[in-house]
Amino acid sequence: MPRRNRTTGRLAWAAAVVLGVAVVTPLSADDTAKAIATIQAVGREGNGNDAAAAAWKSLVAQGEPALFPILEAIDDANPTAANWLLTAAGAIAENEAKAGRSLSATKLQAFVANTKFARSARRLAFELLEKHHPVAAARMLPALVDDPSPDLRRRAVAYELEKLEKATGPTVKPGLERLLSFARDQDQVELIAKKLEDEYKTKISLTEHFAFVTHWHLIGPFDSAEGKALTLAHPPEKATAATSTFKGKGGADLAWKPHVTTDRFGIVDLNKALGKHKDAAAYALAVVVAEKETPCEVRVASVNAIQIFLNGTKLFEREEYHHGAPMDHNVGKGTLKAGRNVIVLKVCQNNQTENWAQDWMFQLRVCDSTGGRLPGVTQLVTDGSKEQAIKLGSTPATEEKK
Amino acid sequence: VTRFLIASVLPLSLSLPLLAGDWPQFKGPNAAGVSDEKNLPVEWGKDTNVKWKAPLPARGVSSPVVAAGRVYVTCSSGVRDDRLHVLCFDAATGKPLWHRQLQATGGTACHPKSCMAAPTPVADATGVYALFATGDLAAFDTDGTLRWYRSLTGDYPTISNQVGMASSPILVGDKLIVPMDNVGDSFLAGVDVKYGKNVWKTPRVKDINWVTPVVRTVGGKTELLFAGPDGLTAYDVDTGKPRWTYKDAPGSIPTAVLSGDVLYFPGGGMTALKMGENGPEGKPLWKSREIQPGMPSPLVYLGKVYATNGNGFVCCGEAKTGKLLYKERVKGAFSASPVGGDGKVYCLNEAGVTTVLDANAETFEVLATNDLGEETLGTPAISGGCIVIRTDKTLFCIGK
Repeated sequence: MPRRNRTTGRLAWAAAVVLGVAVVTPLSADDTAKAIATIQAVGREGNGNDAAAAAWKSLVAQGEPALFPILEAIDDANPTAANWLLTAAGAIAENEAKAGRSLSATKLQAFVANTKFARSARRLAFELLEKHHPVAAARMLPALVDDPSPDLRRRAVAYELEKLEKATGPTVKPGLERLLSFARDQDQVELIAKKLEDEYKTKISLTEHFAFVTHWHLIGPFDSAEGKALTLAHPPEKATAATSTFKGKGGADLAWKPHVTTDRFGIVDLNKALGKHKDAAAYALAVVVAEKETPCEVRVASVNAIQIFLNGTKLFEREEYHHGAPMDHNVGKGTLKAGRNVIVLKVCQNNQTENWAQDWMFQLRVCDSTGGRLPGVTQLVTDGSKEQAIKLGSTPATEEKK
Repeated sequence: VTRFLIASVLPLSLSLPLLAGDWPQFKGPNAAGVSDEKNLPVEWGKDTNVKWKAPLPARGVSSPVVAAGRVYVTCSSGVRDDRLHVLCFDAATGKPLWHRQLQATGGTACHPKSCMAAPTPVADATGVYALFATGDLAAFDTDGTLRWYRSLTGDYPTISNQVGMASSPILVGDKLIVPMDNVGDSFLAGVDVKYGKNVWKTPRVKDINWVTPVVRTVGGKTELLFAGPDGLTAYDVDTGKPRWTYKDAPGSIPTAVLSGDVLYFPGGGMTALKMGENGPEGKPLWKSREIQPGMPSPLVYLGKVYATNGNGFVCCGEAKTGKLLYKERVKGAFSASPVGGDGKVYCLNEAGVTTVLDANAETFEVLATNDLGEETLGTPAISGGCIVIRTDKTLFCIGK
């Protein structure tokens, strides 16, 4: 960019920051990067919003030339900045459409195909491709069945499923099995599993598909007085094996109890397993083995307050009671070390007396960032004095509940 | 020159006064649910007496709001309900003006009847402020320019309400009032409308709540009346400091109505409280167990108080005495709050059916029953001689 234009652009950018008004003077690539960096610097509680607002206007005023630099800059790990940038990209796309200008199919396709970019940005790029070039978008879908973006994966699975539903012959069953391996969303998984079970008499284990931990050692109740549930740290939080005994609530002697859930979705009912207790905490321990160091997500559903520990480190906590237990609502992100890993879940019960506030339960699975099974990860279970590795989610098959 | 430009430009960003006929927030001006407009429609259908209609991209249980010739609506979509939409339409024609999308940054769990587009946005002549149940909060200018954005769950990570939040923000002068009662970092905040930064943030009891604050000025001070699990508390709008608390009026879902110096408080029926400078004075004026709102907030209009509920009951009593005038059951359940204008009360049920009542009658006089045939959980707006109704699929402007 000639020096004069660069100076003009910078003056315009400075004016935009000072005055908070849109400036349509073209920005250099350098100035575009600075505007993006200004947005990426937004902090907590609105810090940086003033500068970000001016940067947003200047970027949107650039139109299509700023679109891909913005998309490339989106980082889902910085969700506040990501939303500033997503709205800027959306505004540019809207303005281009209003002006009757089409976005480049080649650029959009290349962006969608590059999985190093943020999931939210790639999803937006795909939707723009779909709007401007629907045939090209449809062509991309089959390759997205194993995509890291849950939304693109979902779209692709739905697209492929629709094709299979219209197909006949010997390719349908393996096609459904393949699609099931890619499906992550519960509704799609259940739909495909039902087709395989009903139409092809194929037994599907949802606990294995979702990698629910089914074999546990449980201990409780420990004291968990109202308001202190998550602050009372009991010794099992640091347990490395289900071997020690502890003093529990009221001084009771407590020992770990083996427990296998046969629930189709891996739910453990603590009221049944440990008895009904109020103002109480229980711990569940499981050992998983990884062939190598593996990033993982420990996803938990519970109507109770929970803490998730991996190898003695707390990954996540939520203190909320009896407001529902949607699958995967609590996500602890961590890394499995090569070899043996101890997962401990603390599940607290409060003292509400309403009929709907009596459940004491959890569901836990160990998976990758898409919700898929982790290769090379098994669960270690004890059979008498012997330890054996089993597939995550395995249950005594004949006992599995429908 | 710089000083001149700053002096010229900055005032444009400040909150501008409302125009007559605007319906800027949940239940209209100060959440009263009352419009002073005339010649409002009585009868309509999906294709009858519809001034315009526009498709919506997704569901929402928030209400449409109208300010300075624009209608704003929020929606949420996706299998995880994590895609948040803010849309703007021309109020005269229904022409879509802009549509912005955000990615949810907070949890998306909620009661199946609700969704992440549950809090109603608030608007003025400068634009719209949209809060979602995920704690995502954004301000857009009238042309769709993002003025500021905040992830409240990013700011305060323990925010949590797996039933789903639905309290709506309101505007008071140059502050956006953000109610965020929940089981984690629970608070009421005053946020500056220009940059979205906290002017004050006041802790609240850690519990869930769906009430929207109402405003009153007393003794030269403007205060926010905000009911929650531990009672009704008044907050100084300038500082956020509590001024008084009335423990006998705990709130949870419906929002109270302030009419003159009487607060009509829903909870275990209805209670009328005479308001003094430091809160309710003396004993309640009356209490009624028969006038019982469910999730919808009550309406006080033309000397009567109305309450609807999930069993399809429409209750009407004398506002002065609490004497029940009638309690009638109509088909369907109510989630939307009743609204009044032009001598009529509009009771919109969840199936898209509006029962239009004669507000001047002492008995249950139905003027019309109008079916849009689509799910409607958000409260209608009244503006420009029209009733604006958002369904799960469509934005209708009813009238001429």
